[in-house]
Amino acid sequence: MAKTLFDKVWDSHTVVDGGDGPALLYVDRHLVHEVTSPQAFEGLRMAGRRVRRPDLTVATVDHNIPTTKRGLPIVDQTSRVQIGTLESNCRQFGVTLFGMDSPHQGIVHVIGPQLGITLPGSTIVCGDSHTSTHGAFGAFALGIGTSEVEHVLATQTIWLEKPRPYLVTMDGRPGHMVTAKDLILYLIREIGTGGGAGHVFEYSGEAVRAMSMEQRMTICNMSIEGGARAGMVAPDDTTYEYLRGRRHIQENFEEMVDVWRDTLRSDPGARFAKSHAMQAGMVAPQVSWGTNPGMTCDITEPVPHPDEYSQGDPDRERGARRALEYMDLEPGTQMTDIRVDRVFIGSCTNARLEDLVQAAEVAKLGRVADGVRAMVVPGSQAVKEDAEGQGLHDVFIRAGFEWRNSGCSMCLGMNPDILEPGQRCASTSNRNFEGRQGSGGRTHLLSPAMAAAAALTGRLTDVRELA
Amino acid sequence: MTVDCPAGRAIKYERDNIDTDVIIPGQYLKIHDYSELATHAMEGLDPSFHSKGGSYIVAGRNFGCGSSREHAPIALAESGIRAVLALSFARIFYRNSVDGAFLLPIEIEQDAYSGISDGDDISVDVDGGTLTDHTTSRSYSIKPFPEIIRRIIDSGGLFGYDPE
Repeated sequence: MAKTLFDKVWDSHTVVDGGDGPALLYVDRHLVHEVTSPQAFEGLRMAGRRVRRPDLTVATVDHNIPTTKRGLPIVDQTSRVQIGTLESNCRQFGVTLFGMDSPHQGIVHVIGPQLGITLPGSTIVCGDSHTSTHGAFGAFALGIGTSEVEHVLATQTIWLEKPRPYLVTMDGRPGHMVTAKDLILYLIREIGTGGGAGHVFEYSGEAVRAMSMEQRMTICNMSIEGGARAGMVAPDDTTYEYLRGRRHIQENFEEMVDVWRDTLRSDPGARFAKSHAMQAGMVAPQVSWGTNPGMTCDITEPVPHPDEYSQGDPDRERGARRALEYMDLEPGTQMTDIRVDRVFIGSCTNARLEDLVQAAEVAKLGRVADGVRAMVVPGSQAVKEDAEGQGLHDVFIRAGFEWRNSGCSMCLGMNPDILEPGQRCASTSNRNFEGRQGSGGRTHLLSPAMAAAAALTGRLTDVRELA
Repeated sequence: MTVDCPAGRAIKYERDNIDTDVIIPGQYLKIHDYSELATHAMEGLDPSFHSKGGSYIVAGRNFGCGSSREHAPIALAESGIRAVLALSFARIFYRNSVDGAFLLPIEIEQDAYSGISDGDDISVDVDGGTLTDHTTSRSYSIKPFPEIIRRIIDSGGLFGYDPE
């Protein structure tokens, strides 16, 4: 029977086949960070259990670490305790930790691929919803909660209901300065934040095949914002080329590539439960106006009227009204007339080298506008080092951006990098929820190039007018 | 976990996409004391939530979307919430709710969503598949749990779950 890529990865990891019911899946890689793991390790201790496969488990600190100079003490006591707890848990249970001072430290979804821990056809879990990022390699990768983290630590398996495959086709090629971020925001705007519920996206089509791995990671990363359990891209030469020679890649890699080439794609005629097609060439640079990632429009458009946005659905209209109130925006205002206080270039969505290169291309055209504070936060210390090797830090610093150390930073308001109440931020992160970047903060999601453009002009800007 | 849902106050949020950053903002994820965590539940949307003494939340579609933080159902449960009644749920929140036996995520139909008002006194009969609004004396059907969720609930959480 013809199978989808997802079906193949699922079937090859089934320990207990549940038929239509729940199945027990084997987990190939488990990524751990400081926020969703303490209770899980505590649970192991209380039950007298060990970590079943410490060799398949890797930890780092990212969510609540400061992104200022390394080596300084962490001022926030609760953060210091949480980081210290992860360090002692990793020591006690024999788990590899890339800690604060490691050159391999970084956002968990940036370092997994970078170190070659993320592999095609594998199953990957992490107590973080953006684990979907790793699907860019043809892995089935999903975010889990802390109880499941404990279950995976103890058993290296997970009970799951089988999601259904959903084919997303991105045909054609995107236009000038239109990036993977714009394509995924456009998709979520079209299908809604619950559009993929119960499904796993497989991204295909000319635009996806032409993407680099870093771009594929950006679209898979935000699969969760479209409601999907995970997102996947069938691996190809771009994937293998990216992985070859990375730190954790094993000697039999080329043999594995031969197997992956033969198997890891959806068979012709494989059945998807749902599908959606879009034309990449029709997509303009996107920017969110509301308080979920689906509330997004073209940069050339005005802020929508709630009654237009509602499409006749009173709940949608109410949601839009509340969002505009929170965002302090008037319908009909041109997006390009909206002024920003802060600019954040970072996060597991958009803090890889290519993202920083794109932002730097724009940053070198001017200086950060008066009254705007702009930060660049590389996704990992290795990204930072690579960027510095290309002189990107000089470009940013000369233009008036802050150049910081890696971490989740201003994506999620749980470390010192936060918005003040009422501040408005052009952000390359993934969520514009109320209070996400700090209580009362207002977030506009966009691409790294668009964020850099907003920094230079002090307002949301169509980057195509600058570069 | 008990599937017992006796009469209690419903707190209604007529909203879709109530996300985990609203349920428990990121700045509180470092708190390990559950009762302290609870004082910040729903803070992003309704700062008076914790003091309302509600037993149930009634909400729209895609409840709990966003982060994988298990702190979200924990904060609600520690505030006294026995069940969230929503038109639909985001998957990670849905699963987190039952994995640690924190609360019941119950899918309801549009009639219940429209019919129940904030502050109504309601109860749920999970096995009977009904929800009763004692304030209006109206009953509604609830959607059954998928098999895995029902079995995890009956096992008292993920660690009691035995597929045989």
